[in-house]
Amino acid sequence: MNIKILGMGCPKCKRLETVTREVAEELGIEATFSKVATMAEIMQYDVMTTPALVVNDVVLSSGRIPERDEIRAWLSKAHQ
Amino acid sequence: MNFTDFLVNMLQSGLGGLAAYLAAHVLLCLLPAFFIAGALAALLPKEVITRFLGRETPAWISYPASALSGFLLAVCSCTIMPLFASIYKKGAGLGPAITFLFVGPAVNILAISFTGVQIGLDIALARVLLSMLFGLLIGVLMAWIFKKDDVAHAEETSSNQLFSTKAKVPTHIIVFFLILLGILLAGTLQIGLFRNVIFEFVLPGNWAMGLQAWLDTLIPPNPGLGIEGVSVQGLFLIGLLVLIGLTSIKGFKNIFEGFSAWTYVTLGLITLTLVFASFSVTTQSRGIVIGLTGRLLTEIILLSAIWCLGAKALTAHERQEWLWETWRFVKQIIPLLLVGVFLASVARTLIPPVWIQTLAGKNTLWANLAGVIFGVFMYFPTLVEVPVAQTFLSLGMHRGPLLAYLLADPELSLQSILITNTVIGKKKTAIYVVLVSIFSTLAGLIFGWFVR
Repeated sequence: MNIKILGMGCPKCKRLETVTREVAEELGIEATFSKVATMAEIMQYDVMTTPALVVNDVVLSSGRIPERDEIRAWLSKAHQ
Repeated sequence: MNFTDFLVNMLQSGLGGLAAYLAAHVLLCLLPAFFIAGALAALLPKEVITRFLGRETPAWISYPASALSGFLLAVCSCTIMPLFASIYKKGAGLGPAITFLFVGPAVNILAISFTGVQIGLDIALARVLLSMLFGLLIGVLMAWIFKKDDVAHAEETSSNQLFSTKAKVPTHIIVFFLILLGILLAGTLQIGLFRNVIFEFVLPGNWAMGLQAWLDTLIPPNPGLGIEGVSVQGLFLIGLLVLIGLTSIKGFKNIFEGFSAWTYVTLGLITLTLVFASFSVTTQSRGIVIGLTGRLLTEIILLSAIWCLGAKALTAHERQEWLWETWRFVKQIIPLLLVGVFLASVARTLIPPVWIQTLAGKNTLWANLAGVIFGVFMYFPTLVEVPVAQTFLSLGMHRGPLLAYLLADPELSLQSILITNTVIGKKKTAIYVVLVSIFSTLAGLIFGWFVR
């Protein structure tokens, strides 16, 4: 699984990454994490607010930190 | 005056300035304002407004929506640039993007309430209205100047689904915002309903007179320079603030793991501070006179309502997000603000008033331009422009140029110009900077005519 965190290094982006990593570990999912941190690259995706969570190139959330349960549901669905 | 006196004088001015910022009426404004900013960042779904910023939206909707989102969404710097870039590249285009960029830094809840309580409601209202109006005008002008680029752009980007996501703000969140706003207004507005003392009683306290006299020698009040000195009530409030500062480190740091006992202690202390600041306390020869005001009653009712709503209607996730965002704003802004206030107050004793009066004592074109140029070249952290403006005011700056400075400072710093440059390019940035300078100067000039 391929997980991207979109954001230019704001505290929210770091928080999103921490939470997502924790959830992935909890579910025992092997995932590669990458940060997309430049404006030009972020604009490639359909988001207008950061932080955004992108799993297997699908934008799942933007502009907020989703609840743990939401992230858990997304990751386990993408894992199947 | 020898050197020691000079140093003491400087230090007293700095401390006096700090004390004025920790006085009851400022706390009643600043504390709620931070919680509102936190709530806006955490609880307001951004799609509520962004859906009006798409390519297909008619201009008469997208421009005002941009100005509004500058007010509601731009409290966090991590929203401003991505949203600006996407409105420009994928959404309504250059004009509305510029409007958003212009309005955001000047018209957020923290900046306005802070300006209102420290400098005056007139300047705060002028800051809001003129920023909105000129934000719209500059946006429209930019769109008109670069009409060709924008049309080419529109053809390139056809994806509009990004802006079609809708969201509704749940009723309980709206009520939550209204009550928070009520707390801010009840604490800030200087109207009879809130100020009048309904009932007063006297606590025996000869010690208070002595304490007040000592405080007055430590930080002599000087109304001419806008130094209020410290009251006995103020001393207790400062004590409470220090306690809040200490408990919040434990209470808010790990807020994501849930509410700890420390979190409740911190929130309790904050509530107590707001209630205590709403009493009218004066030290007189007959003792400490304590007055129960309309403000106090209103604050108690609204604070209870917030506690109930926060506990019952918000989910644990929402509560944590809200406090985390608030805490982040406080951590980011308050330390720099305190340093800024201290230095700005020290500067008050160093700058000869005659300089400011010659340069910007009258409402002339040059005075306003001087205000703008100072704003562009000096970069102050968020909100620090307010104590700086206050120093200028006490040194005799006219309110017109003062507004010009207050508009230009958060809009145009070298840093923000560089970031804008990466999104829209050199040419557009240059024209934007020129337009903002012209309009800020004009705003000061027009406002200056109306006051005196």
